[in-house]
Amino acid sequence: MADVVLFFASNADTMIATKALKDSGITAKMIPKPANVTSSANLCLSIDAGAVGPAKSALGTAGIALGGVV
Amino acid sequence: MSLRVRLLGTIIGAIVLFFLISVIAARLVLQHDLLALGETEVTNGAGAFGGYWDSHKDQIKLLVSQDAVSDSLRKNLESKNVGAMRKQLANIARTSGLSFLTIVDGSGKVVARANGPQPGTLAQNSLVKRALTGETVSTATLLGPVVLAGEGLVSQAQADIKGPDGKSVAQTNQGLALVAAAPISDQNERTIGAIYGGILLNHEFTTNGYYDLIDQAAHSLGGASAILEGNAIVASTIMRDDGTRAVDVQVPAADAVLKNGQPYTGPDTEGGTQYLVHIDPVQSDQNKTIGARWYGVPMTQITSIINHTTQTLVLWGLLAMVIALALAIPIVQAISNTLAKRSQQVRAAAKELGVVIVGAEVSGDHIAQTKAAVEKSGALIAEIQAGAPSPKMSELRAVNDELEGDVIVIDTLSQEMSGRMQQAVHRVAELNDVAGGLNELVTGEKN
Repeated sequence: MADVVLFFASNADTMIATKALKDSGITAKMIPKPANVTSSANLCLSIDAGAVGPAKSALGTAGIALGGVV
Repeated sequence: MSLRVRLLGTIIGAIVLFFLISVIAARLVLQHDLLALGETEVTNGAGAFGGYWDSHKDQIKLLVSQDAVSDSLRKNLESKNVGAMRKQLANIARTSGLSFLTIVDGSGKVVARANGPQPGTLAQNSLVKRALTGETVSTATLLGPVVLAGEGLVSQAQADIKGPDGKSVAQTNQGLALVAAAPISDQNERTIGAIYGGILLNHEFTTNGYYDLIDQAAHSLGGASAILEGNAIVASTIMRDDGTRAVDVQVPAADAVLKNGQPYTGPDTEGGTQYLVHIDPVQSDQNKTIGARWYGVPMTQITSIINHTTQTLVLWGLLAMVIALALAIPIVQAISNTLAKRSQQVRAAAKELGVVIVGAEVSGDHIAQTKAAVEKSGALIAEIQAGAPSPKMSELRAVNDELEGDVIVIDTLSQEMSGRMQQAVHRVAELNDVAGGLNELVTGEKN
């Protein structure tokens, strides 16, 4: 299954989201922001497309605002 | 100065201040209230002393009145038996404690005296005059030198009066006496003479041991009592330091009493002792102030209560201070130790954070160098592939691109952390200041 990109409002949120997803057992890779993503953060997270649902749930539980999914 | 010293100093200071104010307030209140109580006491005592005075005056009046109606005296007077009268008068005076007792005839001429054969006349004596008109009178009066000489009492009355400083200021040849005069009548109730007697109060205790008036008052009421002729003490129970009685000294406080005829209540020093006194005027039958009655209690009775209360307060204050310190020292010690421990923890944490900050800065520099190397490697791979394309070079370029992406991520994270570390640097500096201040507060030592 293809990867999707999760982006956030800031690099700090991206870091915290990485930790939250890791604690929830979801593998996420931190990557530079792709050109087609509009965000003030320079970093994004790449996860498996099948893990988007659990990732959103984990981020919501951790209280982290998701900027969008590409 | 350490926190421990400051806290203990504050506790001690508060206790000392509290007790100083309490002691001063207690002294002021006691001084005011006890002085008022003392004034009431001496005023009441002086009233009782006045009662003794009046009682003695009435007693003399009674004695003289009884003598005036004595059949034997009357018969002796009618028969001009001077020897028998003299003997009888001497017996009466001795047994009654009278200083003098004299019989005059209807013209006021002295017929017989208890104290001797001296001739004379009392025709000008106002009391004798009144007695010869049939009136029985008793009063306090001043006996002049002539009367005193006639009664043989000059030496008892004469005195060298000293001022408060001990220097002689005057001499007196008068005497203050309680006297009574009564008419002697024949069987037809015609006045054939008068009997005149009394007690000379000047130095009375030194001549025939008559202590009743002042000593009875002092024994019954406590304190000390005195009789003043004018403003000079002529009889007193006031004891000097050498054990003698204070007499023949002026009492300046009595001047106003003599002048105004009004009592005085207040302090007075006699015989080297300060008293709280009440001075009442003594008036003659003509309502003229001729002397005074002095009654006082030693001021030490009042000041000793004040001093004792003050000492008790101070002792209890010291005890309270010791107890408070015994309780406070362990508490202050515990607070100080806790603060010192927290201060050390903060300083240790600040020191560790300082190492982390330095590490982060060094790591950031190293990542930047790595990123530059990876970018340079990517450029070289691109250049080689452009000259001689091959599948291996394409694979190498893909790996390098991925590596470059990871390095970019790491570099971005590093920069992010570096920014936050800069903020941490300020926080750590503040923590260091706080820790230093705490340490100085607790231990008194500067960094």
